[in-house]
Amino acid sequence: MPAGEVILDVRDLSVSLEGSAAGQRLLEGVSFKLEAGEILGIIGEAGAGKTVLARTLVNGLSEPLRVSGGQVVYRSRDLIALPRKELARIRGNEIGYIGANPTGSLDPTVSIGQQILEKLRAVQPDLSKAEARERVLEVLAAVRIPAPATRFHEYPFQFSGGMMQRVMIVDALVTNPTFLVADNITQSLDVTVAAQIIRLIRELRERFSTAIVFISSSLPMVCDIADEILVMQGGRIAEKATPEAITGRPKHAYTQSLLERLPRIWGPEIEAPRTTTASDLLRVVDVAKTYRVRRKGSFAAYNDVQAVRGVSLTVGEGENFGIVGESGCGKSTLTRLLAGLEAPDRGKIEFQGKDLGSLKGSALVEMRRSFQLLLQDPYGSLPARMAVGRIIAEPLLIHRTCPKKEIRERVLAAMAEVGLDPALENQLTVGLSAGQRQRVSIARALVLEPKLLILDETLSALDPVEQSKLLELFARLQRDHGFTYIFISHDMALVRKVCHRIAVMYLGRVVELAANQSLFENPGHPYSRALLSAVPTLDDHPFKTRDHLLEGEPPSPVDIPRGCTFRSRCPIAVEACGETDPETVPWSSDSMVACHLAGAAGLGGPGDPGVRHEGESHAQSA
Amino acid sequence: MFILGFLCRRLFQGIVIIFLVTFLIFTLLRVVPGDPARLIVGGMAPDEVVAEKAKELGLHDPIPLQFVRYLGDLVQGDLGNSFIRPKSGASFGGSAYDDPTRGERAEVLGLIVDHLPLTLQLAALAILFSLLISLPLGIAGGLNPGRWQDRLAFFSGSIFVSVPNFWLGIVLSLLFSVKLGWLPSIGYKGFIYTVLPALVLAIEVAPFVIRTLTVSLAQVMQEEFIAIAPIRGLSRWRIVMAHALRNASVPVMNLFGIQLGTLLGGVLVVEYIFDYPGLGLLTINAVLQRDFPLIQGIAICISAIFVIINIIVDLAATAVDPRLEY
Repeated sequence: MPAGEVILDVRDLSVSLEGSAAGQRLLEGVSFKLEAGEILGIIGEAGAGKTVLARTLVNGLSEPLRVSGGQVVYRSRDLIALPRKELARIRGNEIGYIGANPTGSLDPTVSIGQQILEKLRAVQPDLSKAEARERVLEVLAAVRIPAPATRFHEYPFQFSGGMMQRVMIVDALVTNPTFLVADNITQSLDVTVAAQIIRLIRELRERFSTAIVFISSSLPMVCDIADEILVMQGGRIAEKATPEAITGRPKHAYTQSLLERLPRIWGPEIEAPRTTTASDLLRVVDVAKTYRVRRKGSFAAYNDVQAVRGVSLTVGEGENFGIVGESGCGKSTLTRLLAGLEAPDRGKIEFQGKDLGSLKGSALVEMRRSFQLLLQDPYGSLPARMAVGRIIAEPLLIHRTCPKKEIRERVLAAMAEVGLDPALENQLTVGLSAGQRQRVSIARALVLEPKLLILDETLSALDPVEQSKLLELFARLQRDHGFTYIFISHDMALVRKVCHRIAVMYLGRVVELAANQSLFENPGHPYSRALLSAVPTLDDHPFKTRDHLLEGEPPSPVDIPRGCTFRSRCPIAVEACGETDPETVPWSSDSMVACHLAGAAGLGGPGDPGVRHEGESHAQSA
Repeated sequence: MFILGFLCRRLFQGIVIIFLVTFLIFTLLRVVPGDPARLIVGGMAPDEVVAEKAKELGLHDPIPLQFVRYLGDLVQGDLGNSFIRPKSGASFGGSAYDDPTRGERAEVLGLIVDHLPLTLQLAALAILFSLLISLPLGIAGGLNPGRWQDRLAFFSGSIFVSVPNFWLGIVLSLLFSVKLGWLPSIGYKGFIYTVLPALVLAIEVAPFVIRTLTVSLAQVMQEEFIAIAPIRGLSRWRIVMAHALRNASVPVMNLFGIQLGTLLGGVLVVEYIFDYPGLGLLTINAVLQRDFPLIQGIAICISAIFVIINIIVDLAATAVDPRLEY
């Protein structure tokens, strides 16, 4: 990058929490400079003060936070001390800001085009309405939003998270700012979409020559995009260096520990977890689920949302089974079917050889004891007005599996097992951390002595430290009780670490079902490769984003295209893909793939066997 | 296209509602004690005249049959004739059963059409007054939660909701009509007569509007898009006027659909107090005189108003917030 003019000069910046007795400091003595066209990455864990810094850079702190010292000098003007009127001329015009929550960033009742137009005209009043409109459309096209002229008139709720983040990028860049704050802009997005956004930001930097402060909690992502990186810890700058220096020769102990804790995905020393499974616990045969939803704005027309379209899989006893895919791929619906919360329209689910569909009444209730569901949101899944001990006792009271006298004993035993302080028994959940709350959920599932635990993104709301502690707990429970786990997750690193076999879902179907090692080293489906290519990692990446990353988003589950459903985004699709939906065929000794071109030339992993036909592959796998 | 489907569905629902109301009112009025035929011909009439009248009205037929007959008239726009009120508009005293003026009864539809505009005028002015009172209080409260503006909104709302409307009506007419002589208060001889009753009604409705507006505005102000708007470069004025109020207005609009009941209940009392010749006063007299056709007609009319106003409210809410499904 050209070493140009210094655009932003942050000097000894401190922010404190007003009203707290000790004047708690959230930022302390932060200083750095940003040059024109530079991308400065800021990395740190939750609570490191990244977002506070991002807001302070645009003088957007709200009470009770207050700048207690230092300056943010933008082109020789201190933004913190600037009078409101002058600030209004700069902020939103020369300085752009993009936040972590794209879907909540615009007024839900006004079309996105109108709102960007409103902003542009507010900061550049000289622009005529027609000029402004043209400019908005131009930038909408620049971030590759399809059909910008139509989407201009659509409302925020009609956009997916990824598309909405593109809209917010347009909102920030439409004024052609000299400097942009991007605060965790990929946090709420799927990995593939996040990778698209990162690629976009890099392109736009070239085109608009904007200096960017890029804040993220993902070190690999920041290393990928930034020219220089600030490592933050507890509101202070721990280290400032280039990405190469951070990953190669970290100076600060905190940076080193960050690197060490980073989950590894590829590398010679990585060993996939293995298991020897005796018998099948859960057999899923060709299940499908379609929801009927009344079409908006119509009198009596319905849309059929095909959430799950014929999934077959088996989960062995004592196995860790992973289900991965982008949002909207049908993971959660499949979870609901597996947990028996809803009945499939077609196909059957057998648990220990018994068809769940044929069970009624008390037999079904009894069967439900054997599989328990753990949810993502640790706050919404526990009743707020019940003591911890009572919450954990609830399943025992419902199922009456043990005498009343023993309930308390069982509850305390379960609490001890998941590592909850027995003193919490009579407390409400109010003061508990997310990790502790998940432990309460686990204890609640545990008391029924289930066989299968279904973990629907159970760990994604937790920070990495707490996450690894809970993983250890899961492993211990598996050793002690012989649990089987189904991990539903979008976190490929987690899946790599714990799962024995993994199903990759796309648009309601399993497109690849493979053992851990096969999937990560030798994926057969182009979609699996795309998913893997989007995983941010410092490891030597066998799947380059450049070759495998997808553009666009999955088609709507209402209008499923003919032929292979992945065709519309597939980098290697051929004519045949448009004709028939591919059958699932064996791909390597321990994987199955639904693709006409499984392993097309040059795109496979290490053991690429080239294009094969169905007959051959059967022969080879036999 | 959206609107058409929406209107079809809602109007159909509305007709079902009105039908049910009609059925309910009709049945209830038939089972309560009291003989309509006796009412019509008067207390002095001999029994055979009463029996003849009853036969003429079909009162001896089974209730379902009577109801079907009534519905048949209803779809032709005929709500029947009042039992009591003569066409001339004059009230009657103890005139004999064979007094010729008894024959000519006023049409219910005509009575309603005569009285409804006055009540609509009263209601519209009351809504205007209540908005004038609650918009400043509610907006100030919503923008400054926890501060004195919020408390002012809360306290004034509490006071308004605790004041009985009959008391307020009497006190206001004493003050403005008797003591100060600024406004007339009894009867109706022109638009100025609507002001005092409307004020009383407005104070009855205002606390709900103030509270809803304060709460919903305070909630909207917590939203991310409001917090981020100044960073995007929008002025405070635009943020509040173009975005916060727009979003906060949806619950207030829905409130009006619901509060219509309060408003109509208030109309009964207020019209009675001020002797304001609207639908409310007509209702009270109809009930006191057991004028069944008139009570039925008014009930149907009011349920139709309910249905129409709620359709309008929902349409307006969808126009503001397109996420609401039609």
